[in-house]
Amino acid sequence: MSTLAEMLGADFLLRNALLGSVVVGLVCPLVGVYFVLRRMIFLGVALPQLSAAGVAFAFLVTSLAGVHQHGAASERALALVGSLGFAFIGLLVLAALERHGRETLEARIGITYAFAAAASILFVSVDPYGEAEMTHLLRGDIVTKTTANLRLLTAVLGSVAAALVALRKEFLLVSFDRDMAIVLGKRAALWDTLLYLLIGVTISFGVMTAGPLVTFGFLVAPPLTARLLTRHMLAFSLVAAGLGGATAFTGFYLAYRFDLPLGATDVTLSCALLLTIASGQQALRLVRGPRHPRRP
Amino acid sequence: MTPLLALRDVSLGYGGPPVLEHVSFDVERGTFCALLGPNGAGKTTLFRGMLGLIPVRAGRIDYGFDRRATPPGYVPQKETLDPIFPLTAYEVVLMGAAAHSPPLWPVGRRPRRVAAECLERVRLGEAAEQPFWALSGGQKQRVLIARALAVQPQLLLLDEPTAGVDPGAEAAIIDVIAALNRDAGLTVVIVSHHLRLVREVVQSVIWVDGGVVRVGPTAEMLAAERLEDLFGAAARRRV
Repeated sequence: MSTLAEMLGADFLLRNALLGSVVVGLVCPLVGVYFVLRRMIFLGVALPQLSAAGVAFAFLVTSLAGVHQHGAASERALALVGSLGFAFIGLLVLAALERHGRETLEARIGITYAFAAAASILFVSVDPYGEAEMTHLLRGDIVTKTTANLRLLTAVLGSVAAALVALRKEFLLVSFDRDMAIVLGKRAALWDTLLYLLIGVTISFGVMTAGPLVTFGFLVAPPLTARLLTRHMLAFSLVAAGLGGATAFTGFYLAYRFDLPLGATDVTLSCALLLTIASGQQALRLVRGPRHPRRP
Repeated sequence: MTPLLALRDVSLGYGGPPVLEHVSFDVERGTFCALLGPNGAGKTTLFRGMLGLIPVRAGRIDYGFDRRATPPGYVPQKETLDPIFPLTAYEVVLMGAAAHSPPLWPVGRRPRRVAAECLERVRLGEAAEQPFWALSGGQKQRVLIARALAVQPQLLLLDEPTAGVDPGAEAAIIDVIAALNRDAGLTVVIVSHHLRLVREVVQSVIWVDGGVVRVGPTAEMLAAERLEDLFGAAARRRV
């Protein structure tokens, strides 16, 4: 209890890290809802990895050019440019291949992940001075987050959340029935691009804040859990965000209280919650009998 | 009188050679029309072209109504919609009713009322709060008809609405569509494989076969002798 009181205190040393973690936990599931509904969950693995490769690439290029010093104030901005750049390019290429490519979506996402993971390792290995700093950034630098970083994160991810809520009827229509959207005169390609833009921004900031693993965990686990509990689209999004925020807070508490790695604690907690609820529902179905149809 | 839909020397296709060329016909206001033909003949291509889902490669399609103000009502096959979406029957219909709400604008009271009314028109008012994925095939198809009606269209285009549903549900779906045409004067084009079912209700037939499109009254286009020529003796028994 004293740990919880300490965490909620105004002078808590890791207050920025706690708030940053909760912001990522709240917003990633709002984006992840569309990953689940569009059946492209593995994009949630590939894109954070691609974003991480972008961070490594930005450092490598500036390091080779001799203009980058690790630890400088501009390091974070540089990492952000690389992260956003790779995430956007990856999304645009995947979106273009979705319309014109011959391979399955799984194949494209698999290749993207393999490329991104290999490129991250190669970029880091070629940059002889920055391996430690980049590894630190690629894992997510949430513990060292400054107040200015937290403000930027909150402003950007807050805007993403507001856009997702405000434009939900358009995003839902193009996701559920793209042909219907076109017949109704909606610019489906424009709405898809805007959704991908919001996804790219969220993933880039998520990776920069908490690392690829936590970002993927929050993109996928809370929406999958929320889907088991809700029947309406709005409730689905809100419950997913609520579960993500609550998991981020509880994960932070457990990590701080028992000196555990934060990212791994968050993801394990999210998955444990999903398994518990899924098992509980399965048990209920067995007790009630086959009258209740199984959800698709 | 201006036809509601007029195709003039239209060519349609997907990038390679055109699937259909030099297609010309009219769909008159208030008619109930069936789009028929063997599998692979180009029915879907023509249907998607009429909806504006694929570009017209040559010729032109004229709509006798303002497509932006009153888009066509589109009823896809229920299998094309993923059951993973957590939507109720009412929320699916609301997508059509909210078609005229601008982006960033919350869905107002009027579209909500229209959505509820459209569900009643297809006799599914009591299923409004049921999850869409949990409905029977016939009910899903009627929900999709309600969604198309919620757009308040002048032209209703349906893609095999009776595919994969039991005979009782087939009759209920065709009854609903026929009533919309008869009572509300809605112009309807229906893609179907079910010759017997559509023969009883449609006034004209668009027949697609071998890249050729022919249009005529039902009695002539679905005459037993003509179908026997096209499909053999089995077709006579089907109608």
